[in-house]
Amino acid sequence: MIGADVFIVFVLLFMVFIGLGFYGKYWRRGDLDHIHEWSLAGRKLGTTLVFFLIGADLYTAYSFVAIPSGVFAKGSLYFFAIPYVMLTFAVALVAMPRLWTLAREKGYITASDFVKDRFNSKTLAIMIAITGIVAELPYIALQIVGMQSVLTVMLAGYANSQMVQEISLLVAFVILAAFTYTSGLRGATLTAIFKDILVWITVIAVIVIVPISIGGFGNAFKAANSSYATLPENLVPAYATLILGSALALYLYPHAISGVLSAQSAQKLRKSTSLLPLYGIGLAVLALMGIMVYAVPGAMKFLSGFPESSRGILVVPSLILYTLPSWFSGVALLGIFVGGLVPAAIMAMAQANLLTRNIIKEIKPNLSDKSEIKITKVSSTVFKFIALGFVFSVPATYAISLQLLGGILIVQILPAVFFGLYTKMLKKTPLIVGLLVGIFSGILMIEMANSFGQLTSSVLKTTFGPIYIAVISLGINLAISFGGSIIQKNRCQKQE
Amino acid sequence: MHSKTRYIILGLLVLIPSFVNLGVPIYNRESPELFGLPFFYWFQTLWLVACTGFYLAYSRLVENKS
Repeated sequence: MIGADVFIVFVLLFMVFIGLGFYGKYWRRGDLDHIHEWSLAGRKLGTTLVFFLIGADLYTAYSFVAIPSGVFAKGSLYFFAIPYVMLTFAVALVAMPRLWTLAREKGYITASDFVKDRFNSKTLAIMIAITGIVAELPYIALQIVGMQSVLTVMLAGYANSQMVQEISLLVAFVILAAFTYTSGLRGATLTAIFKDILVWITVIAVIVIVPISIGGFGNAFKAANSSYATLPENLVPAYATLILGSALALYLYPHAISGVLSAQSAQKLRKSTSLLPLYGIGLAVLALMGIMVYAVPGAMKFLSGFPESSRGILVVPSLILYTLPSWFSGVALLGIFVGGLVPAAIMAMAQANLLTRNIIKEIKPNLSDKSEIKITKVSSTVFKFIALGFVFSVPATYAISLQLLGGILIVQILPAVFFGLYTKMLKKTPLIVGLLVGIFSGILMIEMANSFGQLTSSVLKTTFGPIYIAVISLGINLAISFGGSIIQKNRCQKQE
Repeated sequence: MHSKTRYIILGLLVLIPSFVNLGVPIYNRESPELFGLPFFYWFQTLWLVACTGFYLAYSRLVENKS
């Protein structure tokens, strides 16, 4: 059982967090009845703020929970997260400033706005909006699983810990919903900075204290499985395709696009994107925690008290608790807790934008600006609670598996969004078919890879070795989108 | 700078880091170790810093149209 000092530090810092969230409303004041003011913070964020905001998209429970958990259980394969973030910024550097420029010119808020205008197709725009909303849900659920892991570790040994945990999560979400409702992206940006400060302090403390206390990384690798030191030869194709597929997917997520469009200028966007790989250093430290924990007997003993399947997600909070001074672990644990909360807010806002602008407004075109913002605010609240209900009703390990599916879905909008920025040769019908076939083939392959049971793997064994399914299904999608467009073009020319 | 050379340099600034990141066999080895970390781990972590350099150079060159 952990001491009162951890709780006191945790609660005090959480109150600072709440204060910042509500203060966001007054920060760089704008008329929050305008959609771009509420959801894009008035498109006024400079290099540093965009760095933190997109950094918050990156440093989510995915880094705190899913990656260390994977490294802990399976070793080097899950280190793909590090080259993946490097590659994703190369993709962003090429594609995103162009999207930013078009969005500023034409007033786009979402990727779906762009697609509708570019291809003159409501159907395609609505389909892209739905894909975005659906792919985002398990991502939010993963954030909640991360928050849960902190609470589980903190409450272990206390009476009624399950109930206290669920109530705490509910309270945290009500507060979150309240301040995103009033402050919009401004509140999220301010709290993102706060969260990042805490996380960076934690990462630095861990990388200094832990290797010394365990007598060097070498001991951790000795204590862990001996195969963890490098990547087994047969997993190289999986590693490379996981890097590629994830890198292509990240900037297609609606929340990442909101982050991009909130930048003040294309130049500032480029600069902050270029600097973002530095963020990955923290991610690398977090991933290594999955190995370091093997050399910390206290943490290993603590973990052995939990069922094997849920040990992975508890790696980072337990390592913190057993290596850092106790008051300080309060700081670190809160960092991880809000590290799930802030991205959840940004994601739910992005979903709400898609629902209102690209689905409801298509059905009811005469929606006033006032109702538009109202529906957006309310639906962003609803999405948060859908994700929360989801986490309460399914086991945590399942939420992580669904996140794998999210990546496979979202990458299917790539032909329309990324290639749409650069080439005029794509046509709407092949894009629609490509998107549908991409999604269905992706789902089918992930079911096949897991023998139609619980989703634990996102790679399919092929004759070229194991390949990340998102890459295969995207390949099919691209072939249809480009092939179909060329056929359609040739047919038009023949008729003329 | 000649516009064609400029495009080639821009392309290389993005493609070189990407090639290394995707070229897993390049860094999939255990030695030399650094502070007890196998090469596989420390190389990828340090490569983050190098990537930042490449990307900053790219951004500068894009904005410098002359």
